[in-house]
Amino acid sequence: MNRNVGRLLAGGVALALATATPLAAKTLVYCSEGSPENFTPALNTTGTSFDAARPVYDQLVHFVRGSAELEAGLAESWVVAPDGLTITFKLRKGVKIHSGVNGFKPTRDFNADDVIWSFERQGKAEHPFAKVSGGKYDYYADMDMAKIVKSFTKTDDTTLVMALNEPNVPILANLAMDFASIHSAEYADFLLKAGKPEQFDQNPVGTGPFSFVAYQKDAVIRFKKNADYWGEKALVDDLVYAITPDPTARYSKLKAGECHFAIAPRPADVAEIGNDPALKLSKQSGLNIAYWAFNVQKKPFDDKRVRQAMNMAIDKPTIIRDVYLGAGQAAKNLIPPTLWGYNDAVQDYPFDPAKAAALLKEAGVTTPLEIDLWYMPVQRPYNPNAKRIAEMMQADLAKVGVTATLKTYEWGEYRKRAQQGEHTTAQLGWTGDNGDPDNFFFLRGCSAARAGGQNLTKWCNKDYDDMLNKAKSSPDAAARAELYKKMQVIEHDEAPDMKIAHSIVYEAMRKEVEGFKQSPLGGHHFKGVDIK
Amino acid sequence: MLLYLFKRLALTVPTFVALMFLTFVAIRLVPGDPVEVRTGERGISPERLAQFRHDLGLDQPVWKQFGDYVWALLHGDFGTSVVTNEKILTEFATLFPATVELSLCAMLFAVLSGVPAGTFAAVKRGSWYDQTLMALSVAGFSMPIFWWGLLLIMQVAVKWGLTPVGGRIDPIKFYFEAKTGFMLIDSVLSGQVGAFKDAVRHLILPTIVLGTVPLAIIARMTRSSMLEVLSEDYVRTARAKGLSPMRVFGLHALRNALIPVITVIGLSVGGLMAGAVLTETIFSWPGVGKWLIEAIGRRDYPALQGGVMLVSAIVIFVNVAVDMLYGIINPRIRHG
Repeated sequence: MNRNVGRLLAGGVALALATATPLAAKTLVYCSEGSPENFTPALNTTGTSFDAARPVYDQLVHFVRGSAELEAGLAESWVVAPDGLTITFKLRKGVKIHSGVNGFKPTRDFNADDVIWSFERQGKAEHPFAKVSGGKYDYYADMDMAKIVKSFTKTDDTTLVMALNEPNVPILANLAMDFASIHSAEYADFLLKAGKPEQFDQNPVGTGPFSFVAYQKDAVIRFKKNADYWGEKALVDDLVYAITPDPTARYSKLKAGECHFAIAPRPADVAEIGNDPALKLSKQSGLNIAYWAFNVQKKPFDDKRVRQAMNMAIDKPTIIRDVYLGAGQAAKNLIPPTLWGYNDAVQDYPFDPAKAAALLKEAGVTTPLEIDLWYMPVQRPYNPNAKRIAEMMQADLAKVGVTATLKTYEWGEYRKRAQQGEHTTAQLGWTGDNGDPDNFFFLRGCSAARAGGQNLTKWCNKDYDDMLNKAKSSPDAAARAELYKKMQVIEHDEAPDMKIAHSIVYEAMRKEVEGFKQSPLGGHHFKGVDIK
Repeated sequence: MLLYLFKRLALTVPTFVALMFLTFVAIRLVPGDPVEVRTGERGISPERLAQFRHDLGLDQPVWKQFGDYVWALLHGDFGTSVVTNEKILTEFATLFPATVELSLCAMLFAVLSGVPAGTFAAVKRGSWYDQTLMALSVAGFSMPIFWWGLLLIMQVAVKWGLTPVGGRIDPIKFYFEAKTGFMLIDSVLSGQVGAFKDAVRHLILPTIVLGTVPLAIIARMTRSSMLEVLSEDYVRTARAKGLSPMRVFGLHALRNALIPVITVIGLSVGGLMAGAVLTETIFSWPGVGKWLIEAIGRRDYPALQGGVMLVSAIVIFVNVAVDMLYGIINPRIRHG
């Protein structure tokens, strides 16, 4: 009896203590791989820098978490004009801008001025911040924003009209990219008046789910939950990026519980992580493609039978197994399977040297056929070892009577010469920007097939190109997807290239991390992530 | 003494000129430039490429780029990072305290362990202790830092959980502004309970890893120097006078035996800086070593040139200071 009373008392005391103590703040530690260049995505090109700024900012349009599809962001809706030349955005009301960063206290909510400020900084040379922090807006230039967008005009605080020079539906996906993050125009004025505009890019202010707290170069970035966030609020109170460049150190920290989440584990560690009861893995195809392009303007690659024969002559599964070491999957289409519009009905060419040799004979090719095979001198996210792949291809080709001479150049020179079409065959690849299929399919379009263009095959097929252009101006996503599926069939049959692989991206985390959704675009979002 | 100091300082001038030239040339020999590194498969339009190169001064003849660089250096301007747009001196000043803190701890660890170990080995010459120590010192000297660091992390930090894996302080438990950049001092100044202890725990593994090579060298050097001194007449005299072994070894022999050891310590500063590059990478230590490695990857010419010059300057001045120390430690050596 006495013992039970004692237990009850002890339980009561414990309960009282538990209720008296405030709940401990939840801190999510993300072991990232490097320091950001700064916190303004428009100025940057690396995933590391985008990741570092992502908690702070919103864009007009968002990618659905864990997907490349679009959803409303700071714009709650938009209307594309029938002629496709204007898109009118209805902006969200009552969106709070982060307060307290760098002594800044906003006096108003987010409005159209912030959107116009954010884009004009990148597009107008006379903008007061255009030259701040070096003023290089690579993505704005690379995504052809200056060519596509005529103007941004404010009708009222919550209505914004974007006028285009030509109909362009994929631009909506551009607006969800990091470079299109929306800044606070009022914060910019505040810093300009204080005579320290360069701090704008070092101490970021936005409307995102977390607000910036502090950054110590090469060590740590701190964010805290934005309790006033307009959308789904963050589930942790603090978010810490522990900068850990070495992948083995990241894995060790994850094992030791010093971080909850680690970027890019080494392929060699993947199996061990999968077997560790305290850890878990997430994996997905990377937003990329490695391919081997045949220059159709050079004989005998003007004959599709030769191109198909090349596809059949190469032992792709062995390349995937021996070069990618588990971090790649065989590709059969230009886009990865995570993107909408992917045509899974396409059947990849089988590895069939006998059939390849027969096709070459049918095409009138006399063997030995001499070709050159270019390989990149650098490692890329989609291709860990282009030289090794070239050597394996060389060996496979020899078996069907093709003598391949391996060639490479310095990286910049390589791209330039290949884009000029100097090669007979060349390896290259692509990393997508915005998750829109057009961002991949343009690589085989006629416009990119010009000398100096990015279509290394120089293949220009009218049916394919017509569909590409039609899809680009159609606001109907389902219709676009259908067009892309048909284009994949044409491209597969014409075989202007051999698709090698999409990388596989792994993310490692501790078991207690919940709600993480891996983005097919490669970025990391911690808004809906919790620690249980 | 002063004249000697001036001579030594004057001799550093050609070293700096050679260094300026070498760092300038070496980074340009690596394929790709800061603009190339920024561009991916898409490439870059010729106009934008020309603009970028112009902004960075890369469109100038190389001799002019070098001239501008030297001119700016003479005016104390180490340039601006092409990646972060921050002044090189500002970035260096932010990161350098972490490297100094780690290097000092590593050197302290090496000296405090190496000198007594070497002395004892000399005194007990030929014993099992002497032989074990010498074998260990060879192992320590030839230990690849990367391997040693990872081994300690896996065993001590991950498996046994005795120390943290990396970083300078637990980011979940502690957060305070960096006042001096030295975590041991900042943690005390923060007033947060347990912060100093946590900072010390974070220092343990990197200190051991970075200090291992100098420890091995110092132990060997102390031993051989002590053996030489122990055979000197004055040591025999001191023994004959009946002085206690502690006084003979500690006061008479060790003081003289330390002179070459101090030279080695001075020279080890350069080695420590080289070792810091790897140690900082393994232990996520935010110092200049890690920063320089990233500068190479990003072809950040100003950061790399400025960083190497600043680190070299420190190594050179430490060596001058060590030379000056000789006279203080051994009055028989006078700089005239």
